[in-house]
Amino acid sequence: MLQKKICMVGMFATGKTCLVQRYVHSIFSPRYLSTVGVKIDRKEVNVRGEPVTLLLWDLEGRDGNHDVNPSYVRGAHGLIFVVDGTRRDTFDQAFDIRESITSQVGEIPCAFAFNKADLTDEWQLTQADEDAVSARGLHVLRTSAKSGTGVEETFQWLADATLQKTGA
Amino acid sequence: MADEPATTSEPPKQDKAGRNGGGAEFAALRHLLVGPEQSRLEELATELRDRHVSAADLAEHLPEAIVLRGKRDRQIGRALAPTVETALRESIRRNPREIATAIFPILGPAIRKAIAETMAALVRSINSAVEHSLSARGIKWRIESWRTGVPYPQVVIKHALVYRVEQAFLIHAETGLLIAHATAPGLKSPDADLISGMLTAIQDFVRDSFRPGEGATLRTFSVGDHTVQVEAGPMALLALIIRGQAPEEVLRKQQDTLETIHLQFAAPLAEFSGDTAPLQTVHPLLEECLETVVDTDAQGRGEYLWMRWVIPLAIAAGALLVVLIRANTRFDRAVAALENEPGLVVMNARRGWLGWVITGLRDPAAREPQVVLAGAGLLPRALKGRWEPYMSLDSGVVVTRARQQWALPATTPLSLRSDTLTVSGDLPLSSLGMMRQRGLPPGVSDVIVSDSRVILPPHLDSIRLAIVDERVLFAPGAAEANLGERARARAVAIQVKLLADSVGAHAGELTLTIIGRTDPTGTMEANQALAQWRVDHVTAIFAALGVRPDFVRGEPLATSRPLSAADSAMQARINRSVSFDIDVSTRSRMTRGR
Repeated sequence: MLQKKICMVGMFATGKTCLVQRYVHSIFSPRYLSTVGVKIDRKEVNVRGEPVTLLLWDLEGRDGNHDVNPSYVRGAHGLIFVVDGTRRDTFDQAFDIRESITSQVGEIPCAFAFNKADLTDEWQLTQADEDAVSARGLHVLRTSAKSGTGVEETFQWLADATLQKTGA
Repeated sequence: MADEPATTSEPPKQDKAGRNGGGAEFAALRHLLVGPEQSRLEELATELRDRHVSAADLAEHLPEAIVLRGKRDRQIGRALAPTVETALRESIRRNPREIATAIFPILGPAIRKAIAETMAALVRSINSAVEHSLSARGIKWRIESWRTGVPYPQVVIKHALVYRVEQAFLIHAETGLLIAHATAPGLKSPDADLISGMLTAIQDFVRDSFRPGEGATLRTFSVGDHTVQVEAGPMALLALIIRGQAPEEVLRKQQDTLETIHLQFAAPLAEFSGDTAPLQTVHPLLEECLETVVDTDAQGRGEYLWMRWVIPLAIAAGALLVVLIRANTRFDRAVAALENEPGLVVMNARRGWLGWVITGLRDPAAREPQVVLAGAGLLPRALKGRWEPYMSLDSGVVVTRARQQWALPATTPLSLRSDTLTVSGDLPLSSLGMMRQRGLPPGVSDVIVSDSRVILPPHLDSIRLAIVDERVLFAPGAAEANLGERARARAVAIQVKLLADSVGAHAGELTLTIIGRTDPTGTMEANQALAQWRVDHVTAIFAALGVRPDFVRGEPLATSRPLSAADSAMQARINRSVSFDIDVSTRSRMTRGR
């Protein structure tokens, strides 16, 4: 069995939990986020015919604080950085937070999910922002927890990337 | 002159052509002047040249050299110790985690062994105290079993589940990913990977929240009757989900398993990046951690401890009681048997540890007490006691005494009524003599001999038979026998006298019948008279020889009841004769004092 630890990070109320809620298997209540600071879910994907289990560590989002609990990201194989497309400030700190994580776990595959893509009227991010992500060699996708847009693709891409990194 | 250094310390020799004659001389001179210094220079040059070769050779031979020297003395160890210590100290200072990981498998057992040995005695004493106390719970369970009809063992299992290790998680320490998972039979845990991750997260959460010391982890936490027991190693965590109260042994086994895993799977653990395939074989180790322990032993020991003493004691007491009752009964029966035995009077009887002591009176004619008890199947291992002689007038004893006193055979019937003893059946002549000689035994004052036949001893009976077989023959018509027949009659008379004397000596009474016969010739009256004459003739001969006439009687049969023979002539001849019959009897009554 192949498993990968994926950490989902992002600022408060960017929709991390909602993003995965409909697409993963979970036995823990969202209250864990505010108590323990993390909630773990499971997502089964298939990479080139091989089943891979992604253990999603949904980390508590914090505002105005770049620090992510290093204990929770230790040993992570991949990262999903969730940005609220309707709140620019959630993107402004994204690279700082990512750097904070990579300083702890090293370079690992990272996907940026520009979430809440269904709220087009309130959308504040631009193509330049997406390009800025891509320019750093990171994957970026517009996602919508509400419509499901881009969610499966994000998981699929990340699973594939983690396997490529480990040479599996 | 050549400037190149000489390669030998020998003085140069002149070549064949003598062209170097000057050079040779110089070389000889140089050898004389700086020979020793030149040799030393050459040695140093050789050492410098061989130095590289020696290092390579040293690398080759160093291990062997160390071994050889190590066998000889401890110099190698002493020499290397400071260096090794310094190196170790430096290594620990630089990277303590590596050293901790390396010695983890051996450090844990060593520490635990020391602690375990210290605690073992205390635990044993506590266990002993618990186990040896009476269990009210056990009694309660027995009542429940009796009330509900459920077998007692099932009730015990229901209540006495001590602990059950239901699940074992092997979790990668760094990532929190589940490496392997084992569950007890009948249990399912489809979300073991999520639980594994969350366990790790909680570990991290607790560690981050309380900032304990280096290496400290959340080791146990309980929910209801479940306990989660986590043992952390450098590369993996082993978490056990336990229902009930697990003893210290479970933790030790958990630690042992974790150490074994670190030892056997060090490389796969270090390289783990989510692929559990290389660690598949760890599963049996986890399954060994799963166990179910029911407190049948401890509770049972409490129960059985009570039963173990009480039941055997009750059995022993019961057995002792039965033995005592049986022994008492047996003793009473024995005493009763002795008391009922004619000729025995029990005066005192008591039962001791080593046997019975019975004293009393015993008639010499009575049976021995041992014989009485043996006959009743009551003979003890040891029977002691003193029996004083006395004279019993019990009828049985009197009869026995009479039989013994007169040497009467057991086949001779005796019966006693009041003090009159009746003897019937065959009566030996010797017993008749004893009756007269020894008189009547105590308890008998009158003896009646009824329908008895006196039995002669063999030597006398042969005489009797010889007399009965004899015949004194007569010539036809003759009333007197010829000389030869008279001699025969005299011989018979002597035998009769001898027999009569012997019988008389034993108080017997002999009756001799002289029978006279004739042949059928002549008239009946004449023959009757002739037969009488013949009887009288022989009687006279007997009387002349001292045969007392008072026990002789004549019986002139003449021709009645003739003797038979093969032919008439012979029959006539043998019937012209006198023959004899003898009867031995005794007096029909003996009375004491008469």
